[in-house]
Amino acid sequence: MIPIQIVLISAVVFIAFYMYLRLRSSLLDAILIFLFCAVAVFFILFPETTTEIAQWLGVKRGINLVFYCITLFFFFLILKLYSRMRRLEDKFTEMIRENSLNKAEDLSDAKNEKTQA
Amino acid sequence: MPTDNRSIFVIVPGYNEAAVIRQTIEALLEKSYSVIVVDDASTDSTRKILSGLPVSYIRHLANLGQGAAIQTGMQLALKKNAEYLVTFDADGQHDVNDIEKMIKLLQQEKADVIFGSRFLPGAASNLHTSRKLVLKAARLINYLASGILLSDANNGLRVMTREAALKMRITENRSSHNAQMQNFVKYNKLKYVECPVNISYSDYSRKKGLRNINSIRILYDLILYKIFR
Repeated sequence: MIPIQIVLISAVVFIAFYMYLRLRSSLLDAILIFLFCAVAVFFILFPETTTEIAQWLGVKRGINLVFYCITLFFFFLILKLYSRMRRLEDKFTEMIRENSLNKAEDLSDAKNEKTQA
Repeated sequence: MPTDNRSIFVIVPGYNEAAVIRQTIEALLEKSYSVIVVDDASTDSTRKILSGLPVSYIRHLANLGQGAAIQTGMQLALKKNAEYLVTFDADGQHDVNDIEKMIKLLQQEKADVIFGSRFLPGAASNLHTSRKLVLKAARLINYLASGILLSDANNGLRVMTREAALKMRITENRSSHNAQMQNFVKYNKLKYVECPVNISYSDYSRKKGLRNINSIRILYDLILYKIFR
């Protein structure tokens, strides 16, 4: 095993373990994390297999294929995160709106009051 | 006109407009419209400056954007049994006399929504040429996004009936609320008309965000709106 493989494998295992602990997820998630981890470790140990798959798909080098996959995956992730952000913003808006509507006031008798900034 | 002006609710969304908002509101009150000020979490003295005026004042706890402020104002207006709802910019660029004209036209045409336009014959405005070009381009893009072609897609002055307002629900907090409103008009098959309105751009309102660069921001919001609604 060459040094980079040790670095990458320990990183993958650490991330997988950390995710599992943080998410305290269901069994299905745990299995998924384990599967991803196993696949990653496999490709780290036998990088030439990616080239075989790549050539079978018509791509020259394995690293290119990995790069394409990662690009797609990140794009998907951004969309996913963004739509989640929009949902959160909707909730946030609703809360602020409800709060402000409950506190609606008529300013005609606000004259002598020490107003807030 | 048979309508009592107090059943006409003018919604004025504002963010840090303390310098001019009182003038704007006083002009509206002179016509005895009901006024709802939605303070979108201003950090200036907006509330203090308005104290003593018979207006409904709502304050967002955090800055959400103009679209969100309009939606909040509309909800309060509907709760207060508004017959007509008007949106009106706080910075003093609109002419108060246009509201009456628009409501008349709305009744005449039996329309549901009426949009103010800076570009119809009869509208007076002191616009720069570069700004005009940008607004024309915005008009086309807006047509692609909303499905209805207006001569002026991003005008802050509009009037709608209670029934039309009940069918709208703005979820686009920022600038793409214009397109979203037009979308509601299209999908609910509401009848809409455009009406020439006067706009006066003061140095103040120019400084406040009518810079052309903002249209890029609007375009960005619009694209996100189309992808993620």
